[in-house]
Amino acid sequence: MTETLTSKKLAITFFFCLLALVVVMALCAVVGTQKISLAKALSGPADTPGENIDYEILMGVRLPRVILAALVGGALACCGVVLQAILRNPLADPYILGISSGAGLGAIIAVLSGLTWRFWGGSPIAVFAFVGALITVWLVWGIGHLAGAGKSQVTTLLLAGVVVNAFFAAVIMFLTSIAKSDQIHSTIFWLMGNITEKNRSVLLVSAACIIAGIIALFSICHRLNVLTFGQDQAKALGVDTAVTQITAFGLAAFITAIAVSLSGLIGFVGLIVPHAVRLVFGPDHRRLLPVSAIIGGAFLVVADTIARTIVAPAQLPVGVITAIAGGPFFLILLAKYSRKVSWLK
Amino acid sequence: MKKLSILLLPIVIVAGFIVISWYQKLLSPTTGEDEVKHPLISKQKSRDKMARTGKPQRIVSLAPNITEILFALGLDKEIVAVSSDSDYPAGAANKKKVGTFWQPNTEAVIVSKPDLVITLWFEQQNQVAESLKRLDYPVLTLKIEKIEELLTAIQQIGVATGSKQRAEQLAKDISTQLNELQSKFGSAYKVKVLWVVQPEPLRVAGRNTFVNKLIELAGGENAVGQTIQQYPPIGTEEILTCGAEIIIQSAMGTAGTSEQQKAAEKFWSKFAALPAVKNNRIYVVQPDTVLRLGPRLCQGIELIANCLHPGENR
Repeated sequence: MTETLTSKKLAITFFFCLLALVVVMALCAVVGTQKISLAKALSGPADTPGENIDYEILMGVRLPRVILAALVGGALACCGVVLQAILRNPLADPYILGISSGAGLGAIIAVLSGLTWRFWGGSPIAVFAFVGALITVWLVWGIGHLAGAGKSQVTTLLLAGVVVNAFFAAVIMFLTSIAKSDQIHSTIFWLMGNITEKNRSVLLVSAACIIAGIIALFSICHRLNVLTFGQDQAKALGVDTAVTQITAFGLAAFITAIAVSLSGLIGFVGLIVPHAVRLVFGPDHRRLLPVSAIIGGAFLVVADTIARTIVAPAQLPVGVITAIAGGPFFLILLAKYSRKVSWLK
Repeated sequence: MKKLSILLLPIVIVAGFIVISWYQKLLSPTTGEDEVKHPLISKQKSRDKMARTGKPQRIVSLAPNITEILFALGLDKEIVAVSSDSDYPAGAANKKKVGTFWQPNTEAVIVSKPDLVITLWFEQQNQVAESLKRLDYPVLTLKIEKIEELLTAIQQIGVATGSKQRAEQLAKDISTQLNELQSKFGSAYKVKVLWVVQPEPLRVAGRNTFVNKLIELAGGENAVGQTIQQYPPIGTEEILTCGAEIIIQSAMGTAGTSEQQKAAEKFWSKFAALPAVKNNRIYVVQPDTVLRLGPRLCQGIELIANCLHPGENR
């Protein structure tokens, strides 16, 4: 890609992607297991519950769910982009540095302890998962920092992540084996990733954190671009690699932890959406990051709509759909575009 | 500095959102709990609902044992929808289905226009219950994991559905039957029972389970000792030394019981030293009455007792 990216071009791309996301969200809110009449739904709430069920389904069930899916998808895709950049590894996804197992461990501890309190409408599972994710990330970063001085730091970080992941996964398996059957079910559904309706305050606060995090990451896109050349060259170009890495890493970990505590472990979005967008739009992070966030959101909204309609009246965990639908789609993109651009410019 | 302002922007946004959400929380009517009510539904309506005291006419049950309790209370007509795993009594098959016990479908529940939704207390159902509560639907959440909790739950359902007397009668009947069974089998010789949940890999019911309680009520004793797991996977060594006099295996899937019986006998024939295998006392039973904490509880105990003391009951 030799063309230069002007801010006008960026704004146009951004606008059209955002428009596409809104259209997708609107369409998916109308689709569902129960047919609703849009005119009736938009006429506002009735005086007694159960009178205008179209409105209740649209506003109380589908819209919160669609918004949540868009947020989580955007967060995961965006973090995938950042981690692939700072680790310089095409296999990196938001979970590669132990977030998945840390959050999973937190979740299973919450399920096993049978806590009943609710924190701001969030269940103990969400709170424990969030805390577990952050502690694990801190642990991995600490190990990676202690063990790998200088050049090999990225490798050490990856290794630390893999080992911590494996260790926590073993602890999760141990805890699952001693859990009650209904507790196991709760945990497994959580580990597969599940989008459910949340109340407004949870939605608002997490939306704020995620959007703010994405904006902050966008502000260091230039430095991420330079970082993909390698640490030495980045340093030679006057970028403080350590500060950039820790800022990007910290923000990505925070956003991912929020996404995970909202919806469990939804795989694949954070891996394939960044790659797909990179194949189509090129590797410039100024464009890659926001477009990935938007496309990731749209992808998860569609996947969740499929998950809640395909086996109606039952539902599937959305993680199943993202993996099944995402894999082949990504392979098609790979076959079509891989000759055009390489992974790293 | 430009850079600093970019870094501060996210913090300002977060703070803004938090302030907005707090503000909304203060404005919206709360029920004293930590949940935020749907802001678009007026206070007036909640009051109307409180004032409405009659019997609920459209009940939705999200668990098979709750469905059984509702039917046992004679609420056949009032039930509008059940979870798709509610298969007993036969009348439940004709009711609308609103998703499985593990993954209930909120939309389907709303479409059936319930005036009472009954859920069980665990994560997946709690999420649905919260969504429904947010939309001002009356939800009754029950925790049924022990026999005592079942009796309380029956009475709670009775109060909520306006059939208090029938519920008290049902709870009383169940506890009388339990007492009878206890006195009948309490003094008998404790037969050692191995309750097999799945044969491959072998998992059995441990001491800390509901099945164990039923085995004891039926006059048996779990062949497996205290374990940290509820349903421990156990090795060949333990099986050979546990000295089980009876093996009960819960039937799985749709295959006929007689076929599963044959398969079980074949599977266990390799442990020829075990008393249960030697005396050919291996039973495959339909586990619904045993594993489902509902009004058919005593039938479950009798089912086990029939395996434990063949000939004595008839």
